[in-house]
Amino acid sequence: MSVAAGVAPPASRRERLRRWWRGRLATPIDAPLPQRRLFLIPTRFGLGWATLVVVLLLFGINYQNNLAYALAFWLFAIAVVALLRGWLNLLGVTPALRLPREAFAGGEACLGVVLRTRRPRSALELHCAGADAWLEIADGVGEAELRLPTPTRGRLALPWLRLETRWPLGLVRVVAWVSHDAELLVWPRPLEEEAPAARRGSADEAAGDFAGLRRFQPGDSPGQVAWKQWSRSGVLATKQFSAPPRRERWLDFDACHGDPERRLSLLCARVLAHHRAGERFGLRLPGLTLAPGEGDGHRRRALDALARFGPPAGEAAR
Amino acid sequence: MSTPRPAVSPLAEERRLERGLLRELFIGQCLVLALHLAWMPAWLAALALAVAGYRGWQWRRGLPRVGVVTRLAAVGGLVLALRWEYGTLGSIDGLIGLLLGVYLLKLLETQDRRDARVVVMIGLIATVVAFLHDQGVPMAAGALLALAWLLQSLVRLAGGRDRRQAWREAAWLLALSAPLMALLFVAFPRLGPLWSMPRLDRAATGLSDSIAPGDIAELSRSADRAFRARFEGPEPAPDERYWRVYTLSYFDGVRWSRASPEQLAATLERPVEVFVGAGTRSPWQAPAAARFRAELLLEPDSRPWRPSLGAPLATGRAQRYLGDGTLEGLAALSSRALLRVDSSGAAPAYADPAGARWHRLLPVDANPRTRALVERLWRDSGGDPDAYLAAMMARFGEAPYRYTLSPPRLGGTDRVDAFLFDTRAGYCSHYASAAAVMARMAGIPARVVAGFLGGERHPDGHYTVRDYDAHAWVEVWREGGWQRLDPTAVIAPERIEQGPQAVEEGAEAFLADARFSALRLRELGWANRLRLDWERLEYRWQRGVIGYQRESRRSLLARLAEGWRALWTRLEAWLPGQGALATTLGLAAVLLMAAGVALLARLGVGRWRRQRDERRLVGALQAWLARRGLAAVPGESPAAHLRRIAPEAGPAGRALNDCAHDLERLAYAPLEAPERAARRRRLSRRVAEVRRRLPRPRRGG
Repeated sequence: MSVAAGVAPPASRRERLRRWWRGRLATPIDAPLPQRRLFLIPTRFGLGWATLVVVLLLFGINYQNNLAYALAFWLFAIAVVALLRGWLNLLGVTPALRLPREAFAGGEACLGVVLRTRRPRSALELHCAGADAWLEIADGVGEAELRLPTPTRGRLALPWLRLETRWPLGLVRVVAWVSHDAELLVWPRPLEEEAPAARRGSADEAAGDFAGLRRFQPGDSPGQVAWKQWSRSGVLATKQFSAPPRRERWLDFDACHGDPERRLSLLCARVLAHHRAGERFGLRLPGLTLAPGEGDGHRRRALDALARFGPPAGEAAR
Repeated sequence: MSTPRPAVSPLAEERRLERGLLRELFIGQCLVLALHLAWMPAWLAALALAVAGYRGWQWRRGLPRVGVVTRLAAVGGLVLALRWEYGTLGSIDGLIGLLLGVYLLKLLETQDRRDARVVVMIGLIATVVAFLHDQGVPMAAGALLALAWLLQSLVRLAGGRDRRQAWREAAWLLALSAPLMALLFVAFPRLGPLWSMPRLDRAATGLSDSIAPGDIAELSRSADRAFRARFEGPEPAPDERYWRVYTLSYFDGVRWSRASPEQLAATLERPVEVFVGAGTRSPWQAPAAARFRAELLLEPDSRPWRPSLGAPLATGRAQRYLGDGTLEGLAALSSRALLRVDSSGAAPAYADPAGARWHRLLPVDANPRTRALVERLWRDSGGDPDAYLAAMMARFGEAPYRYTLSPPRLGGTDRVDAFLFDTRAGYCSHYASAAAVMARMAGIPARVVAGFLGGERHPDGHYTVRDYDAHAWVEVWREGGWQRLDPTAVIAPERIEQGPQAVEEGAEAFLADARFSALRLRELGWANRLRLDWERLEYRWQRGVIGYQRESRRSLLARLAEGWRALWTRLEAWLPGQGALATTLGLAAVLLMAAGVALLARLGVGRWRRQRDERRLVGALQAWLARRGLAAVPGESPAAHLRRIAPEAGPAGRALNDCAHDLERLAYAPLEAPERAARRRRLSRRVAEVRRRLPRPRRGG
């Protein structure tokens, strides 16, 4: 007991230290990069440049050669100015993340990074979890995509974003870490069933007749927006069709076979297929039931549920 | 807008270079090579072309990179070629050739950015090595061009988009770093060499230390610069500009030669210290007699000769003061150098330690006709040396002697006879030799002095002395001092007054070897002005930049300190209060006030600009809100942003809604100018109101 009590505070102190250190290191997202969070790290070329300056200076001293002195000093001064300009190249950049709309396990997620600045910037590099990209900002906003691999289903906490630049001479790397708490919800890898083709043919896919307009709501498919109407009246409206009564489908976890991941993959593929077909469907997972519905929002809810699915305690014990 | 980029970073070190970058590197190599062009073996240029051609061919055909065997073979071939060119690789010329060759061959195996940067680094080293050859204005300009090119190729390597951006960045870098470079250049202490380095061998040019009649005419064919000089204090009159370089005291019947202190010590069997002393003051004569103080800008030469106007008395740096009243450097010069020399302007007033006998030596039985003439003149003058010398000089004036730069050749053993009685045509060295022989025959110690006479005075006051100003005259020992005798002055006084170009006879020999020299155009007014301007620039460059060594640094810093002190006293007089503290405080207050005014002006300009442009105004407000955690979400318009946060903003809500409304009206509604201005003013008031009324965010909330 006393031992445990004695051990606990150092651990938390270490944790505090770690948190302090990470806070000291990184800039929060959506804030301009401040002066004290930019780190200058010389590159190998920069070290070579320093050696070169010393060699030229020794040359000038030993040969009493004033032009060699001048060149050595100029190279030194250029390095100083390059350091400053590289630092200014990253200072004040405001990074923002644009999370990918969808990401399936085993694929890639396109993480968009938007950088805003007031001055133009050159040759900025972005690194995050092994993916990298680079961009230039000519007038205010620059955007780049990082292709992150997403190997497994579930929540994926994204590591810090690293912004760096070697502009203008490559003598020094100016590095800034950007901390954020963005996480991706990686949907299961869709897995087509072996023989689903027979059923698909019979699906009553025929869209119904035009039934009228209703006010646009976020989440409505752009394909169903009455654009003509909008151009005339300026009001966004969604076309509605009188759907014939369709058979509602239930996608059931317990009805699938295989291990839980495989079942989730199958369910994922079926959600996608039903959504493509425009069918209503419901989802039954152990501990969660999603009432039948349709549309983009419903698809997303279903896929999110699949991604969040954790096996119940009893199943995990088995 | 941003340009979408491929997923593979093009800035990765290992990425293969594009063809355009390779071309940039090659052009940079050519620029660096151009600095060496006048001194390097010509086949190195062919090597450059071969390497570039191979790379181009390889690129077009998509051939694989060069194998290690080919590269080794190329380096081996280079080493062999350099050995064949210079005989050894150990000489500095060979080392420079090796550096250049490796620099060129490195292009063969340049594949990625890392290699390219190595190429640029070697290029910078090769640039600095070129300064061993020359430090003139054209070299400095060429090196600046090469530096700019190398810098812009580095910018390209670091991700520069195109050539324009790279050049702009390189220009910024150069311009912004220039002040720091200048400061370091001026302030950095100039140290002596830390260890000895291999030196470039300089060909000996100009005067030689032995003269046969006929030698100096060679020099009149050349327009090479011998040295430059500037006087502090009085300048010598044209007939006083006798620059002494060597004394020639040994005559073998044909040739007058110099006896160095070491040779004299060996010949006369006395210690060498008798003949030479090192230091910054002459051990032979008190410096009080100094008439002229000259600052010499010496050209590099393999022999350490130093000119002085008359006998040297004191110098800025330690030199060897020779017993014959000439000066020698402690070492040869491999680059131009400045030297201050105080001199007497007259022949030395002290005896040569070699003794009077040494200066009376003559070959026996040579020149019988001259000997007869000397005996007759000696008898006529009644045994008085001064009268004899006057008669001798007078005879040079009376007899039909001609001064010509292309005299008939003399042969045989009795050359003085042949000159004095047969050809009777010659120039300074003929007359000096004959006069010295005649003086020695009468028992008067005499020696020939080789040096320069005259020099071109530039409008800014400095003198350029060239090879064609070389001259020879005689010094005789009379009553406790040497005395200058110049027979040429009797025969061709215009040579003394106006320089060798004034001599009509044999003028075709003058500048015969400097066929393309700008000096040949001195008759043309504008060309001569241009030449003088260029020489002035060159002189200032050499004196101010290249000659900026320890002494000039000290004097410049002293001048700066003095200027600062003068400024300080003026400040103290101008500012109220007494003492250094009050002045410092006053100065600080003035500076602070100036800074404050500048800051206010800047803020005012910024506000004025914002008020002129509603988008800027609202943009600033949005940034301000973002800092308080109320940032816009991506894709949100400014008005939508303000409206969205209005409900949560408490007392600032109404102002936020007004801002959004005004902004939209200004942006989209067709308004008349007065209403537009009024709305803008209202908008700016509303923005200020938002800033005032927005509740402060709770810390840690």
